Amino acid sequence: MHSTLSFSRATTVPTTNYAFHSQSPINLRFCGLRREAFGISILTRSSSGRVRLSTRGRSKRISASTGNNGTPPKSFDYDLIIIGAGVGGHGAALHAVEKGLKTAIIEGDVVGGTCVNRGCVPSKALLAVSGRMRELQSEHHMKALGLQVSAAGYDRQGVAGHANNLASEIRSNLTNSMKALGVDILTGFGTIVGPQKVKYGKVGFTDNVVTAKDIIIATGSVPFVPKGIEVDGKTVITSDHALKLEFVPDWIAIVGSGYIGLEFSDVYTALGSEVTFIEALDQLMPGFDPEISKLAQRVLINPRKIDYHTGVFATKITPARDGKPVIIELTDAKTKEHKDTLEVDAALIATGRAPFTNGLGLENINVVTQRGFVPVDERMRVIDANGNLVPHLYCIGDANGKMMLAHAASAQGISVVEQVTGRDHVLNHLSVPAACFTHPEISMVGLTEPQAREKAVKEGFEISVAKTSFKANTKALAENEGEGLAKLIYRPDNGEILGVHIFGLHAADLIHEASNAIALGTRIQDIKFAVHAHPTLSEVLDELFKSAKVKAPASTSSPISEPVAA
Amino acid sequence: MQTQLGSAVFPRLLRRSLSYIPSILYSLHSLLNLFHFFRFLSNSSPQSQKHKEMASPFLSNTIISFSSSLSSSSSLPRLAPSIPFSAIRSKSTPRRILTVRSKIREIFMPALSSTMTEGKIVSWVKSEGDVLSKGESVVVVESDKADMDVETFYDGILAAIVVGEGETALVGAAIGVLAETEDEIAEAKAKAASKSGASTPSAPPPAPTPAAASTPAPPKSTPAPAAPTVAEGPTKTVATPYAKKLAKQHKVDIESVVGTGPYGRITPEDIEAAAGLSPSKKNVGLAVVVETKHAAPAKAPAASAAPSSLPPPVPGSTVVPFTTMQSAVSKNMVESLSVPTFRVGYPVTTDALDALYEKVKPKGVTMTALLAKAAAMALAQHPVVNSSCKDGKSFTYNSNINIAVAVAINGGLITPVLQDADKLDLYLLSQKWKELVEKARAKQLQPQEYNSGTFTLSNLGMFGVDRFDAILPPGQGAIMAVGASKPTVVADAEGFFSVKNKMLVNVTADHRIIYGADLAAFLQTFSKIVENAESLTL
Repeated sequence: MHSTLSFSRATTVPTTNYAFHSQSPINLRFCGLRREAFGISILTRSSSGRVRLSTRGRSKRISASTGNNGTPPKSFDYDLIIIGAGVGGHGAALHAVEKGLKTAIIEGDVVGGTCVNRGCVPSKALLAVSGRMRELQSEHHMKALGLQVSAAGYDRQGVAGHANNLASEIRSNLTNSMKALGVDILTGFGTIVGPQKVKYGKVGFTDNVVTAKDIIIATGSVPFVPKGIEVDGKTVITSDHALKLEFVPDWIAIVGSGYIGLEFSDVYTALGSEVTFIEALDQLMPGFDPEISKLAQRVLINPRKIDYHTGVFATKITPARDGKPVIIELTDAKTKEHKDTLEVDAALIATGRAPFTNGLGLENINVVTQRGFVPVDERMRVIDANGNLVPHLYCIGDANGKMMLAHAASAQGISVVEQVTGRDHVLNHLSVPAACFTHPEISMVGLTEPQAREKAVKEGFEISVAKTSFKANTKALAENEGEGLAKLIYRPDNGEILGVHIFGLHAADLIHEASNAIALGTRIQDIKFAVHAHPTLSEVLDELFKSAKVKAPASTSSPISEPVAA
Repeated sequence: MQTQLGSAVFPRLLRRSLSYIPSILYSLHSLLNLFHFFRFLSNSSPQSQKHKEMASPFLSNTIISFSSSLSSSSSLPRLAPSIPFSAIRSKSTPRRILTVRSKIREIFMPALSSTMTEGKIVSWVKSEGDVLSKGESVVVVESDKADMDVETFYDGILAAIVVGEGETALVGAAIGVLAETEDEIAEAKAKAASKSGASTPSAPPPAPTPAAASTPAPPKSTPAPAAPTVAEGPTKTVATPYAKKLAKQHKVDIESVVGTGPYGRITPEDIEAAAGLSPSKKNVGLAVVVETKHAAPAKAPAASAAPSSLPPPVPGSTVVPFTTMQSAVSKNMVESLSVPTFRVGYPVTTDALDALYEKVKPKGVTMTALLAKAAAMALAQHPVVNSSCKDGKSFTYNSNINIAVAVAINGGLITPVLQDADKLDLYLLSQKWKELVEKARAKQLQPQEYNSGTFTLSNLGMFGVDRFDAILPPGQGAIMAVGASKPTVVADAEGFFSVKNKMLVNVTADHRIIYGADLAAFLQTFSKIVENAESLTL
């Protein structure tokens, strides 16, 4: 299948076959996953007969063209090799093809990486189930809408199947989209053997060595398990296991109350489990804006079957065996004294993720990782042990640790491709949104209020905060989901958006108006004139921008301030 | 003072948790949008600026004026603080009369929402010794819903803080003490010391009147396991998160509950069982928890909310906690006491039924199915007997006839439901029944398969019981108790004796909706159906 569908992109003169595809607009910038839909459509169109044709057209590894930026004397197998076919690598590969680069992607496991196979994607399937369960179980909510539902139940196998099917569907979409565009998928673990040279191969097979003008490391991360915790994959598990939903324990302890922990608490409590959070910091949900996390705690934690221990480490976790439950030793984070022992049915370790960079051969090019992360500059260029840039080597995504989000990795990959094709580009990480898909959702972009205040003091400007409630939004009230808050942190002098935080119905979908504004440098005094359909949830942000008090006048050139009526 | 409170608190509330004005919001909102829209069309910027300025004060004014008129609306519980505030105040009025001489006043934990039972002190805005004037914010309290500034009702000096930052107090408990003049500070402090005094047993709450309002909560609401009152064994109490929440909610002393969950842990069901048995949990409530801490010995039967104070069991007896099913039965049985029931008995001749049974038995039809079918057919003609009374004010006529049949299973009792028993034929009904019983044995009944009944059938005839009396399950209108069918000598109108099989059925019904004549007519129909049993196969 792989060989039949792989097109050679060696030449810039397209074959007739190819011309059809190359005209296809790939213009979704920072959204790797959205392209799958595009990928499928190509596949559908290119099937029936054309596959055969393309077999004939396939040419064996001819030298890559030098591209249009500079002319190095050497010739390479590829313009670009990406090690790791997760969302980051996929996003980079698609953009590279769009830019006319001959691209290969090396994957040692399954295409799609963590996000698609063990992360965002299957967890969304579980959260879709938990959201509906929650609604059906909320008698009060149903009654308020005038609905009557007899007791809701679920079939664990069915739920797990949905998550698994979704992952494999997205995985094949991703694979097909790359194959259809002519990205070579090379199977095996990739290792850097020297400058611009990578070997790959499966264990027990001879390695192949390929060369490329530029190389992107996109190897991602694995769940981080602190020492003292014994993961058996059954009763003491990581998100990798939990997403398979092999069992729904009566009582599960979740170590870590970040995104992953929170989302799983949403899933497990909806399916009937009770949850105990173990958080090393003094507050639950560290990393969120404090006001948002406080509100979120009131809605997502306190009324649910959840309790928590904060300021403690889970120093020892023993899986259930010999007729004993899972035993968790809690140690005070400050005094390091033993504080408590918990006996639960299962424990989920959601303490974060560790970069997966072992065996990459970084020593061959004199690069030393920092706690496993590959050091990079703001252009994702890898920095070696002496602090010098390694030419033609980049690292994106979780492996560099800048921002461990799938879409951030993809954006970084696109940024790298822009650079290697001759346009300097620096990704503004403050414009990358993040979301936690609880019910209701939490989303954010930019700085939190304390971060913004710190920056304001340091740089000597004023900041203001504006807030709007979902309770004032017609659509939210129609859905009977008025619980929620949107918060804007901005500079009143020039209208710059510093951060936006949303907690409420569909917050994850709402954040993009704000993140796009930050990415494009749109100021509040201008965006407040943009029109929102009524009644929609997007009016929450509309109200938010309108409630901000900016001293600067709206820019006169803004097209939307022109009269519409003739 | 009242108005002062009202006007001062509401804007803050509104600012903090924003508007709670859904009902007026749509119109308001569309009005606003109209403004925006208008501004948009007109596109003269000074003009539009004006509109904008008009719009915002208009909005906020409206909210405030509406809020006061809406404050009593039940759909907006959060605007309710005015009510709890006044409630607290009126509750405390007698106290204030007592203490008015010394001019030392307590600051109470206010109820900031209708569901708030306790509040956490986020921060004290004022510190001890600060001079306060009426209406000033003193303390920030976190409720289950929001953070709110709490203001003083009086001028004075904050003499002492009873409940510190980060600590929790029950609604109505004193959290601080206010002295009117500097001279009274010392006295106030002494009072505060006695208030905060789990440590000072010399000052037990003297008033026999509801002490809960004035008794300070222990600083930490979780009972210290190391309490020296009862020497507990070395085993650690393990309770699930929800069990702990329920225990707190129902004021159950978790240390006294026997865990029946895996590894002996206390499950939510255990707490429910413990709380469900308490005869008057609401009245005892707070007081018991607090007072048991003060080691008040004889609190008599009311103390069963805290079973630790029950008389010790007879030596040698074993305590077996209820299973979940048994707890549910227990709860339902206690609940049934609130329904006024009466009973009507009726002898039914069963010769035709017995004959039919012999005929259809080989086809897998059971007596249960026959009786359920007969009852369902009779119910179809007497819908009132199939109705129920949910609120004490109305009849709820059920569109389906779902016959629940009581079955004893593993020391428990469950009522699988034959749904639409009037519509299914005998064979389908029998098959359905078989499935339900199997599922019930395997504990796999779905909730709607045991709680959707509209009428219950209980048959003890197979044990030779000739008549009995059933308890009406909550939520249903009637239950039929069926005794054994026995050969009986009967005399007919002409005086001829004959032997006929007769069984006694006894129906218990809710007299709020089903009256004697209804039941009698229903039983007559039932009897006719059974006596012409062939109609059951139609």
